[in-house]
Amino acid sequence: MGLDRRAFIGLVAGGAVGTLFTPIPWKITDDLSIWTQNWHWIPRVPRGEVTYATTATKLCPSGAGLKVALAGGKPVTAYGNPEHPLSQGGVSPIGASEVYMLYSPSRVRTPMRKAGGKFEPITWEQAQADLTAKCKAAGNKVACISGDAGGTSGEVFSAFLSKIGSSAMYAMPGEAGPAAAGFKLMGGQGVVGFDIDNADCVLILGGDIFEGSGVSVRNRKAFCASRSQGGAVKARFAYAGPVRNHTGAVCDAWIPVASCQLGALALGVAWHLLKAGAAANAADMADFKKLVEAGYSPDKVFKLTGVPAEALAKVAASLAGAKAPLVIPGSEMGQGMGPGAFIAGMSLNLLLGRMNKPGGVMALPEMPAVFPGAETPSEILARDLAGFLKNVGEGKTPAPEVLLVHAANPAYGLPESAAMAKALEKIPFKVGFASFMDETAAMCDLILPGSLTLERYDDVVTPYGSAFCSYTLVKPLLAPIYDTKTPADFILDTAKKMNLALGHDSLEKALKEKAAVLAKAEGFMAGQVMPWEVLAGKDKPAFDAAGMWKALEAGQAWVKTGQVAQTGLSFAAKVLAALKPAKPELCLAGRAPQRVGTPATGIPAQCTTAIPASDFKDGDVYVSMNAATAKQYGLSEGSRVTLAGAGATCSARTHLSENVMTGVVAVPLGFGHTAFDAFSKGKGDNFLSIMSASPEAGTDMTVWTGSEVKIA
Amino acid sequence: MEERQSNKAGGVGGVVLLFLVGFVGSLVIGWWVFPQLLFSQKTQPVRFSHKVHAEQGMDCESCHTYAKTGQFIGLPSTASCAECHPDETGGATDNEKEIDKFVNQYVKPGVEVPWLIYQYQPDNVFFSHAAHQGFECTSCHPDVANMDSPPPYQQNRITGYSKQTMKMWECERCHASMGTSNACYVCHK
Repeated sequence: MGLDRRAFIGLVAGGAVGTLFTPIPWKITDDLSIWTQNWHWIPRVPRGEVTYATTATKLCPSGAGLKVALAGGKPVTAYGNPEHPLSQGGVSPIGASEVYMLYSPSRVRTPMRKAGGKFEPITWEQAQADLTAKCKAAGNKVACISGDAGGTSGEVFSAFLSKIGSSAMYAMPGEAGPAAAGFKLMGGQGVVGFDIDNADCVLILGGDIFEGSGVSVRNRKAFCASRSQGGAVKARFAYAGPVRNHTGAVCDAWIPVASCQLGALALGVAWHLLKAGAAANAADMADFKKLVEAGYSPDKVFKLTGVPAEALAKVAASLAGAKAPLVIPGSEMGQGMGPGAFIAGMSLNLLLGRMNKPGGVMALPEMPAVFPGAETPSEILARDLAGFLKNVGEGKTPAPEVLLVHAANPAYGLPESAAMAKALEKIPFKVGFASFMDETAAMCDLILPGSLTLERYDDVVTPYGSAFCSYTLVKPLLAPIYDTKTPADFILDTAKKMNLALGHDSLEKALKEKAAVLAKAEGFMAGQVMPWEVLAGKDKPAFDAAGMWKALEAGQAWVKTGQVAQTGLSFAAKVLAALKPAKPELCLAGRAPQRVGTPATGIPAQCTTAIPASDFKDGDVYVSMNAATAKQYGLSEGSRVTLAGAGATCSARTHLSENVMTGVVAVPLGFGHTAFDAFSKGKGDNFLSIMSASPEAGTDMTVWTGSEVKIA
Repeated sequence: MEERQSNKAGGVGGVVLLFLVGFVGSLVIGWWVFPQLLFSQKTQPVRFSHKVHAEQGMDCESCHTYAKTGQFIGLPSTASCAECHPDETGGATDNEKEIDKFVNQYVKPGVEVPWLIYQYQPDNVFFSHAAHQGFECTSCHPDVANMDSPPPYQQNRITGYSKQTMKMWECERCHASMGTSNACYVCHK
């Protein structure tokens, strides 16, 4: 019998039918479906025992303590640390992203040197040799821009510059800089903080204090505590600013006013307080009174700001009638404010007698330095980075030979960003201590990748806005994932090789020394008793100085509530007299939602789904304006708009919102990245690029809040 | 013409015969050869004798512990094994040689043993041992307490999972028999 065609078909058919009575088709189908669940690019759930460790966020300016969940030793989620005074269990979107950012596709994984316009990987030894040679050749023409001027890491960079004879240490702009400069002009000593917890009437001038401004997580907790569910309202909040942002939305009142006119508004409120007999023990009280009475009467303020006299009178009456009023000056986008506007806001606190009082403004002492020669954070913060770079760009100031960029992204995060990036191009050798391939790192000649928060020792020292001194340890929870180092450790080692002894071999040792110094400074470990309770009169708990380091390692924060006594504090009336509040026809109001990260982080991947459609939709960024403004410029919901300012333009679509005052375009910052990764890159424009950096009359510090804008 | 008819007549029987050959052959392949091919066999890196430990009065929870959080830790770490086996025995028996192998290869370098887990569930399954504490371990796991050598680990070449990994229908059958909800969210969070 031969195997002809029919027989073969019979064999195959028999096999096929038989196969249906076996597990083969069913098992393979089932297994293939399971196989598709485990493709290598699909994230896996880490296995192992779930444990918890503590640290604090460095990427978020709130400085909140973190409680990190680890599975099998790998961090998986970050929560707020309930024991930490700056967190109380709360965490910001950026703080929560500390875990996920470890695996960001834009992380720089190895030291790199630029050659022929492209980066090539090099060893740490080669990188150190390059940096050493360039620094030696540059002499004292070395500058540094730091995004962490307040921490001990910033102190290391400052001490390094000091050793080589340079004082060109700059901090990225925020609210702390103008506050430091302004308080200095007022003759103040120490650093200002705001005791929201113990205040019963708070006027917020501009700052988005419940979103990204200052110790935002702490501020939110204080706000919640003031109006617990079912309980009496303990404090009233009013927000003055161009946009009813996350802060304005929850306050009891919103006073629409352009950010460039916040100073005028404050002095308008001062007019009412003076009228009611308020006075302060300041040398220039008479000058201040004369200035306010002459220039900031209700009708003049109305003409300038559009805020009716009744509204000003109501605010003044609320403040004057409160037991513990507090005025918090700031900027709606956390940067760009001038010292003059800060002083104007602070003048209200002086008139109300709120310096160093519970629920008022606290003048905090600066933390002792452990690196000889390092400048204080206030000295660094008071310098004008935007003005410096603008002058470099315009050839008015010589460019440094070497620029060290630490935890900062000045090529993106400054006003007139394109002009700033051009100024950076003039610097012959730029070194980026960058964790991510951001816009500045992409311009650098040498990139020294920095370990992220969860991979390194570091600290959080009294973040701006806090009403008490605090010190929190940041400790590594895992070994660096990539070939990265702690920037401060690398600088310490480099200094040693250059025979510039900075005083410590490693940052960890320096932090231990700092803790030992602080242990003698009459503070205590927060936890059972919180610092705002002590400010309100509660007894300080006992402090175990010997166990401080262990307590820091366990995630507790050292805190101190003592204030710096003020002698000779004034209104800086001469500065206020020189203020010239602008009145642009149409001005910008920046919004800095934390969901889109910071200039140094880009947009955290896990936050992309939380960006509202009113900010970004279908590839377009949306700017907001109210219906009246839109009508004036012939715009409607969704229409395309080109904004022009500072010699640059930005494109966006229009979103109509009555949360924006008339004559203002609210722009979301954090978009328009040209670096980082797919989560950040190619999403709209960077609106900082159309904000004009101009000197503030009276202080000469660069300001860019309320920049004038044209609709092209 | 005659030849073709003859072929046709013989062909029908041949076709039927070959159909049966194909049918039976595929049954043999499907039920006997296919399972052999689908699963590879692996042995544990250390021949751990559950029997020896059980004979010393240890129960499952002595090593397979729960964390304070209630999370089932699963396998003991090298460090916890080393609490009883910190040093080489120097002995000549098979068991002593295996202990020495464990000490030299894992305790001294301080690395975890890459144990092959018989019943790892996929990532999309949330299985709580704490919720099943009322059952005997052997209700789901092989009764290894009576085994001197761990059973061979049979790994599915397509999925990568062990042959002993409990399938969803098994979970559902038990839940149904116990009157426990079989809603999706019970196991898939």
